This record gives sequence, structure tokens and C-alpha cells, in this order.
Amino acid sequence: MSRFVNKEIEFEMRREFLRKLTVAGVATLGLGSPNLLARSVEGDVRAQAATADSCIVLWMGGGMAAPDTFDPKRYVPFEVGVPVAEIESTFPAIDSVVDHIKLTEGLEQIAQVMDRATLIRSHVLPDLGSILHSRHQYHWHTGYVPPQTVACPHIGSWMAKVLGPLNPVMPAFVNIGQRLEGVGEQEELKAFTTAGFFGSEFGPLNLPFPEEAAQSVRPPAGMDVGRFANRQKLFRKLVDQSPQRDYLSDFQYESQLRSLENAYRLLSSPERAAFDISLEPAESYAKYDTGRFGRGCLLARRLVENGARFVEVTTEYVPFLNWDTHADGHTTLQRMKKEIDQPIAQLILDLESRGLLNRTLVILASEFSRDMIMEGKPGSNANDQTTEPVEHLQAMKHYGQHRHFTGASCVVMWGGGVRGGLLYGASSAERPFVAIEKPISVTDLHATIFTAMGISPQTAFDVEQRPFYATEDGKGQAATEIFRQV
Amino acid sequence: MTRGDGNKSVKRRYYSFGLAFGILFGSVFNDRAALSDEVDFAHEVVPILRTHCIKCHGGHQKEGGLSVNTRAELLAGGDSGPSVVEKKAVGSELFHRISSTEDGTRMPPDGAGLSAAEVAIIAKWIDEGAAWEPGFTFAPQTYEPPLRPRRPQLPEAIHGREHPLDRILDSWARVHGHAVPENVSDEVFLRRVTLDLVGLLPTPEQRAAFLADTRPDKRALLVDQLLADEIGYADHWLTFWNDLLRNDYTGTGFITGGRTQITSWLYEALLHNKPYDQMARELIAPPSPDSAGFINGIRWRGEVSAGQTVEIQFAQSVGQSFLGINLKCASCHDSFVDRWTLNEAFGLAAIYSERPLEIHRCDKPLGTMAQPNWLFPELGNVDSSLDKSRRLEKLAELLTHSENGRFTRTIVNRLWHRLMGRGIVHPTDAMQTAPWNEDLLDYLAVHLSDHRYDLKQTLRLIATSAAYQSQAEVLAENSESGAYVYRGMRAKRLTAEQFLDAVWQITGAAPVGMDAEVDRTRPGEISQVAGNPRADWIWSKQDASQAAAGETVAFRKVWDVTEVPELAIAVVSCDNEFQFYLNGRMVGQGQQWDVPNVVELEGVVSGQNELLVVARNGGDSPNPAGLWCEVGVKYADQRIDKFGTDSSWEWTQQLPNGDGQFLESPKDWQSSSAVNHAGIWVGRVTPQADSLLARGLHGDVRMIRASLLKSDFLMRSLGRPNRDQIVSVRPTELTTLEAIDLSIGSTLDGYLQHGARSLVSRNWTNRESLVRWVFQHALSRDPSTEEANVLAEELSWPLKPTEVADFLWSVMMLPEFQINR
Repeated sequence: MSRFVNKEIEFEMRREFLRKLTVAGVATLGLGSPNLLARSVEGDVRAQAATADSCIVLWMGGGMAAPDTFDPKRYVPFEVGVPVAEIESTFPAIDSVVDHIKLTEGLEQIAQVMDRATLIRSHVLPDLGSILHSRHQYHWHTGYVPPQTVACPHIGSWMAKVLGPLNPVMPAFVNIGQRLEGVGEQEELKAFTTAGFFGSEFGPLNLPFPEEAAQSVRPPAGMDVGRFANRQKLFRKLVDQSPQRDYLSDFQYESQLRSLENAYRLLSSPERAAFDISLEPAESYAKYDTGRFGRGCLLARRLVENGARFVEVTTEYVPFLNWDTHADGHTTLQRMKKEIDQPIAQLILDLESRGLLNRTLVILASEFSRDMIMEGKPGSNANDQTTEPVEHLQAMKHYGQHRHFTGASCVVMWGGGVRGGLLYGASSAERPFVAIEKPISVTDLHATIFTAMGISPQTAFDVEQRPFYATEDGKGQAATEIFRQV
Repeated sequence: MTRGDGNKSVKRRYYSFGLAFGILFGSVFNDRAALSDEVDFAHEVVPILRTHCIKCHGGHQKEGGLSVNTRAELLAGGDSGPSVVEKKAVGSELFHRISSTEDGTRMPPDGAGLSAAEVAIIAKWIDEGAAWEPGFTFAPQTYEPPLRPRRPQLPEAIHGREHPLDRILDSWARVHGHAVPENVSDEVFLRRVTLDLVGLLPTPEQRAAFLADTRPDKRALLVDQLLADEIGYADHWLTFWNDLLRNDYTGTGFITGGRTQITSWLYEALLHNKPYDQMARELIAPPSPDSAGFINGIRWRGEVSAGQTVEIQFAQSVGQSFLGINLKCASCHDSFVDRWTLNEAFGLAAIYSERPLEIHRCDKPLGTMAQPNWLFPELGNVDSSLDKSRRLEKLAELLTHSENGRFTRTIVNRLWHRLMGRGIVHPTDAMQTAPWNEDLLDYLAVHLSDHRYDLKQTLRLIATSAAYQSQAEVLAENSESGAYVYRGMRAKRLTAEQFLDAVWQITGAAPVGMDAEVDRTRPGEISQVAGNPRADWIWSKQDASQAAAGETVAFRKVWDVTEVPELAIAVVSCDNEFQFYLNGRMVGQGQQWDVPNVVELEGVVSGQNELLVVARNGGDSPNPAGLWCEVGVKYADQRIDKFGTDSSWEWTQQLPNGDGQFLESPKDWQSSSAVNHAGIWVGRVTPQADSLLARGLHGDVRMIRASLLKSDFLMRSLGRPNRDQIVSVRPTELTTLEAIDLSIGSTLDGYLQHGARSLVSRNWTNRESLVRWVFQHALSRDPSTEEANVLAEELSWPLKPTEVADFLWSVMMLPEFQINR
């Protein structure tokens, strides 16, 4: 049940939403969004009761090495001369609150909340030649391997489109932490950070810097709130006095006014304060203040508390930075873990203490994993991506997971109806560390996420006269085992 | 009754139904007095059937033996017998089923079912005789468009409307009993056609001239005049073609060299109005690398599926852009939605392919090789023994074959859509489906080939029709849910580019540089103004090659004017930035030496005038500094003269305030020096400056247009597509996220502030004169008394920049501004 509107209103909102989706005119007029296909109307779209109302994706952009994070293997400490092939993990394993789940050193806080989580160690990704990260990220975020003949929507856009906003004044899809200008592969990043053929109504509100998020919902610099309100009044007066007011019943005319009113409603609403993380009590703020990602987690929590439907927080993908370790991997991961460990644990605890974790699905994922050596997936076409390949360690910069590996990566899911303390799937104990139990593809992982959100993986829209599904070709199968049995 | 009234009455009717339904269930349906008019099948009944019935009873579905595909089938009913008793809802099985509350009886069986209002509409529709739009069906379409061109017989003119398109449309309206939309006023026409043909708002001056024009054919003359504006036309239509040919200045693939632009070629083709068949031939069989980017598509790094190789992209792009045929389905498997097969998609791809191309179904190799094959072998085919370039030439020849009516129909349909707001075949990429009016489409298509594929002739034909010059339809949200009924043109939302150009026109805030590598020189244009010797690059000293970073100098020229010129223009370049004042008023500024700025010198007086330029050297260490300016003047008798920076310009290190006023008149004016290192600037600046000055003196100061810039945050937000795919139609609605960007985004706010400052500094007689100017420019009309009253209350006098900025914003947010109606 939504916390923001009562049951009747919610029902009406959904009806209105579905009505809009099914009105044929919306597509053929080219009004920005395609039609929901008849075969997936109301009954089918909401295949089963949702177990989550909101979704947060914690994106470890750049390729998070599973053996150094959530899937510890044999630890070999740094020592000059050690053969690289003997090293499996560069961090020792640590215990978590769940007996059978071990993580790696540096994730001590997250280890304390693994009893609320399902840990997937068998997420398998295709080998796209392992070149551009952004292509794999496109695949993970849209469910489709690029290039595609149509612009595919981000999973956040699917939620915005099919579910609509949870709180009508909050944008349904917010994307935190990723710059889209001034970074490498920016065009490729833009290609999936979009609602694609759904149209920009369902696209993200991009907030690359959490500390500046408040400015994204604030009147322009130099305009105080009073002037902002007066400007809106003047606008309304001109609308009222316009000789074109006869066109008020015109769909386009009305739609433009409605969007401007919606915008004003958010920009003048109390929920606006959610965007301002400086309003967070100092003690709480400090717990998240490990860097941009940590502050992004805080912002995500505040937005979800205020009814955001889908929020992504990324460690930011910049080629050769952060998780994209082609050299000096161990040292870089020490920093990355420091940045993510406490905020993620705090996010889970805060959601829980506010009674929101049950209905908020939090997912940590990355576009692929990494390995120390080249072997990788059998038959892989990956080239060596290490900047300084060596067979025996000579310097600290050689110590780390420097090669892309798509055979098995880790996904953690908290809350939103998933079981706590569950270990799902496993990777091989021997190299190559490919998934050997319950391999789960992007298609099936998305099916699982969509199912939790109450969206059928078979939901389809008519795009250029052919069906386009929420999961590739409508084939996604949810891993139902991870859901709590009710 | 206007169309607007008609629409309102529909809304009222729903409302009264809702009320009546609760109170008088059963009797209301025969109470015709309570109801204003008949149920509208297309707009009221079809959406209900589509929403609630066709899932099980439409298309190929026929549960319980019932299909609602056609009226006959619906009436015939299914296993439960006929579904409708003639003109009697009560007693009809259909009404019984949709209004029942019993499980097992009620239809649809799941969900909330029909609302009370929907049941009431169906009941009334049955009572009225269950009228059906002739030809409308929910059954899958089996239409196959004709290949060859067809020359329709023009019907007789009605009411003396002789224009060929009006003869077709008027006759259609008469046959179908529809009203012909009324003509629009000159001011509405002016704004509409200017935006449609050159993408700009008409200026208040253009408006005044057009309204004052008494020639009976002034509308046609205006169309000709706009189409003759080669640069305006090219700037505007570049957007359409970039979308259609997925060309851009940045994007996926460029970073890795996997993609090339066709910008220079495309712009030149538009500037010179290259015939469309020739354009197509040059795109498909490129005579030079300049137009090769289209067929070469995007070469992605890494591995791609068999359905997205460059060869298959070629087939898809050629199919979509030139024929409106969707080969995307057929690239993986035989299409389920139309007749195209996997072999045909691969056959087209094989024409382009340099390697043997193995056919793949859903990414699995089939073991057979594709043979070069064109989609319409009736016209001839491509010999597989030819080499690639010959094969492409042959394909280009077949595509543009005079007997290929689909080639011409596809493009005229797109142009009709751009001007009339909806395709004759719609969506415009679905050319495999039936047009709503074959004669109209076929006439436009043969007209294009009759006129040597001159696209401007098609635009002219449409824009000079009474149909184009008539009231736009008022659309309801579900206007498109039944069969399309032509009720006049449909209003068009401004594209991101049109919106920004319009904002820049009013605020003067257009950027100074462009990203597109295009030559914006009109064909045959005089590119130089004869006259006095060329201006010098000047500074305070002869060697300014190591001028201090941040060094700022004021230069002035005292200009004695005996005859006030009709027009005076300065072209200025300064390394690194300048503000230009005329008689104590800022008239221009610039920040990029390599993109000279055009400054209009408005307010030159008889006697002494002062040109004052504050020039600042940039950088963070010593570097070359220089200022260059040429002033061109044109007198009433069209005499042209020019002068420029030289030693008669004086300099001082004292600086004026932001209004170009010195607190104390400088006493140290000294002659400036021609610098001895001008070579570093001349090559880049002089040719541009010559052309700018020449053009400026012909009254043609060209604003940089949004189509010439890389997409930015605001343009993306307003619907400019990421051109990785062909997206030939833009979204037509402003969304909430866009509205947020427009409400608080710093980009638009910056333009508004700039515009407000510059407007406030002009010499308005009173605030009404500003209000009138803004309304005339933005909306092509005068403010109404009510609007003028509102603004008289809101705007202070003297004007305040913040209030003017808010006024501009409010006007630009009006649907009237953002929608071309």
C-alpha cells in the first residue's frame, strides 16, 4: 500500500495509468509513447502481487571483481615473485552475520546486514568481446545487448512507465552519481540512461552530484521562492487571458499545461526537501559521508522515503577509474570498499528502521566481474585488458583483478520481499570461476526484479508494429526461490 | 459551431451520463431529449471495444464464436446468438453481458469491466443503430501498397477552390459529409508557414510588412520567399534530415572511428536544393566519402548480433529512410506483421556486403548465403556478379526508378506530416499500411517526380493549399483510437531546435559558434564588400604577442557622420573577448576570436558617434592579444562603404563601467598600433568576416541555429533524439521532466536573463511597446486588452530585468508559443 495516497486514489491512479497505456491514440499520434499490447493488459501486467513498491539499484560501474568482494576464493597476500596464477583473491575472507556467507575484508559493515539479503554468486553475462564497459552496462540496464534497432528503455523507465510514480509529485526515476558530460564513453552512457522509445516522461532525473541535488528542484540561481511563485501566477494569468483558451480541451494544449503544473507542484512541494541532503541531521549525514557514492545512498534513502519509485546510485563509471581496475586493483578496491561499505549497510538499516525495507528492493550489481589471469570464460574473445601484464608479482600495482570476466558475477538483493541470508548459486572453486550452480542471466535477473515490483516479465509494448518485452523476447523467468514465501 | 465547442459538448455528455446513470438506469437510453447528439463511433465506441473486447474477440481471436472485427460480425454474435437487437440496447445480449454483475455472465470476465459511463455509451450506440465507420475493422491488415506511381484524376473544384490538393480534399469531405475547416488569419498563417518552412518565428517587422501587404496572392508569394531563403531552409530542414539519416556531430561510434558524418554534404544538398532522387543516389552509391556515412552506419566495437552488422544496418536504414519499410523484424526472421522475409532483408544487405553474407535466423546461421536482391524485382534487380560499387549504383537506380512509386510516396508523406501534423500514411515509417486518402498521396508523389524531385515544389504545393491555410483540428486524447478522419491539419509541437531558435530570436542569446561543419554561404552570394583597405589587427602596442593574461584595454573610434546610414554593421574579432558600445550603449559582445561576431550598430546619429570596444586578453600566462573590427554601412541609395580598426582608433587603460560610461573622461587617449603578429588570426577570421559583413549589409545577419549545434542537455530533454537509431518522428508532448528543465534549468534561465537585459536596454516608449513587441515576435499577434492589462500590472516602469525575464518565460511557456497551430 502506498504511503502517499489512500487506497482509492491509488487505485484510480493505476486505472488512469493503465488507461493511458492502452489508449491506442497515444502511440499512433506519436504522442511520445508506444502502446501496451493487448496481450499484456491489466491482468497480465501485474502478474502477481508486488513484493516491493520502490527499487534502488546500487551500481558498481566498471566491473566489480567478485573474488575480491562477495565471492572470496583462495587469498594470497602480496609478495614479490608470487606467480599471479596462484592468486585468487587479494583480500582475505571475513565472516558475515550469516554462517554460510563469507565476504572479503573491507566489507565488514555490509557483512552485518547480509541476514536481510539474498546473495547471488552465479550472475552470468554474455561475452560481448569485453571491450566497451558501456555496452555491457547498456545490456544490464535495458536487458538488451546493443546495438538494437530501437532505443531501449532503462529498467527504471520500465518501472516509471508501467507503475508510474509512487508519490505523484516525485519523479518516478532518479539517477544519482553518473555524469553524462565530460566523461569517457559519455555518448554510450547516454544511450541507455534514457527512456528510449517510451519518451522522456519516463526518463531519469539525473543528479550526478548528490550534494547539488537540491539545486535540481530549486528555482534558478538568483530567483527567490517568492519570485518563483509570482512568475507562476503571471503564467497562469496569461493562460487564463489567452485568446487561445478555447483550445483548453485540445489534447496537446492541455497536456503541456498539465506538465508545467506537475513540474511546479514538485518544485513547490514539501517533498522538495528530500533532495537537500544538507538537511540530514549531522550524525546521520556523517554515516553516509564516505564520498559521492555514500552521499548518493543518503539521497536515495531520502527520495525513497518520499515516494521515489526507482533510484539508481552509481559509484560512477569513468574509464579506468573506480571499479574499472586495469592496474593497481587491490589498492583501488581498498578505497572503493571504504566508500561503499558503511553507506550501503546504513541504507539498509535506515530503510529497515523506517519500516521501508520490506517494500523496497535494493540491488547491488555490476556489468561483469574480474579475474587475475587471462583464462576467463572458455572460448572467450576477450583480449588482455591489463595495462602491465606480468606472470609474477613485481610491484603492488600488479596486485589486483585486472581482467574482465563474465563467467560469474555477484548480485546482492535486500528487502522488497527477498529472503534474508540466502545464498543463491555458486561459482566454481577452481579457475575459471564460472557459475556452476543456478546460473542466472540478465534476462532472468530482470524477470526477478520486475516480478518483485509486480511487473510481468512478459509485459510488451507495440514498438514499430512489433512487440517489445520487458525482458528479452518475453523470455525472462523469475528466480522465485529468492522470494520469501508468504 | 467551432470545433472547440464540439469537443466540449462531448465532455459534457459524459458528465450527464454519469449523473443520469445513477438515477434513471434503464430509461435514460431512450430519452433522446437529454442528449445533445449521437455517439461518435470512432472516438467513443472504438476505444471501449479496443480496451475491453478485442483481446478475446478481435483480430484472430473469436472466443465464444464472437468476433467484433466488423459491424456484421459483431451483430451476428456468437454461441449465445445475435449480440444486438436492432436499436434496442435493453434486450441485446451485448448490453446484458457488459452490464451484468454476475460472474460467468459479465464481460469482460476479469478486471473491473466497463465503467458505468462506458456501458451507457454502448447502450446509446446500440439504441441509435450501432453505426460503424465504413471500412473500419479490428482484423489484421492485409493491405499491399501499389508499387507503381498512379496519377489520380482530380475531382471538380468546389466553391472555386482550384488548388489540386483542395480539389481532392474538398471532394473527399463532400462525399463523407464532413465540414471543410475554415481559413486562418494572415497572422496565424505567417507564424505557421515561417516556422514550417524555415523554422523561425516571423519578426515583428516581417509581420507588419505581411499584414500591410494588399496583394491578393501574398500568401503564395510569402511561401516562395521563404523557400527562396536557401540558408534559412537548409538550417531548418537539416534537423529533419539528420533525424531521418541518423546523422549527428557527436554520438556513439564517432569516438572509435566507427561512424562518419555526412553533415557537409547534407547541408550543401539542402542549400542547393539538390533533387531528392539525386540525394538518394548519392547516399546509396556515394560518389565521394562525404555522403558515405549513411550506408556505412555504425561499426560497433566488440561483437554484435547477426541482426545488427553494418550490412544489416544498411538494409534497415535504406528500407526505413527511403521506403518507410520496416525490415527490423525481417532482419531476424520472416516478419510477423508484414510481408517482408528474412531472405529479402539479407538480400538487400548482400548488395552492400563485401563479404559472403550467411543468412542468420534469430542469430543462428542457416548455412545458406544471401544473394544480392532488391525488394521489388518487378523493376529490375541487382546482378550479383557486379562489384560492390556497381551493385550500389544499380540499387540507387532501382530505388529512384521512375516506376517506383513507393520512393516518392514515402518522402511526400513525410513532408505532408511535417506540415500537416499527421501522415497520410501514419505512422510515417509504416508505409506498408494504407493511406487514408490514396488520391492525395498519389497526387503528391507524381507531382514530385513531375517536378524533377524538387522537394521545395512539394512544400510549396502543400503550403499554398487552402487545406494548409485552414484551422487546425482540436484533438482529444483518444482522437486516434478509431479510423482516422481528416478534420484539417494538426497542430505541431515545436522541435527542440525550433524552440531554441525562437528563444534565441527573442532574447538575442544565440551561441556564437557552431559544431556542424557547414558552409552557410548562399549560392552565388557576394562574399566581399569592396571598399577601403582592410582593417588592421590593433592593440595598445605593436608587439602584443606576449600581452599579459587578463590585460584589458578600451579602444574608441570617433566617427563623424554626415549622412545617417540606413544600416551599419560591425564584424568584430578579438583575442580573447570584447564588449562593444555605441554612443554609451552596449550593442554586442563576443568571447571567441575564431568565430567573428556581427554587431548591429543601431542608433547611429548625425554628427559625432563614439564606438567603444573594451577588449580583454585571456589565458593565464602572457599570450597574443589583438582586436579587429570592420564597420560596413549602407546608405539609402544603396551605396556601401566600410572602415575598420587602424591607427585612428585610440586606446586607454581606463575602463568604463558596465554601461560603457567612464566615471571620468579619460585624458590619455593614444593612437593604437597595428600589431606585427596578425598572421595568427587572419587566415581564420578574414574569409568568415568578409562573408558576414557582405551578408549583414544585405540585411542578412544569420543567427547560429540549434540544428548546427551538438545536442545538449536541454535539446535532449526537449526531444532531440540520440541518433544511434533512425527516429523520424519527435515526441509531440511536453513532459513533466521537460517542464522541470524549462522551469528551473540554468540554460534557459541564462537565455532569459540575457534577453531581459538586452531588451531593457532598448529604447521603448513605454512598457506597452515592449509587451507588444514580445507578443508580436513570440506569437505573431498583438496582446489582447486583458493580456495587456495583466502585464501593465506586473511590469514596472522603468523596466526591471527580472520582471522582463519572468514575462518572457511566461510567454514562452504558453502552449500558443510551443505549439505551431
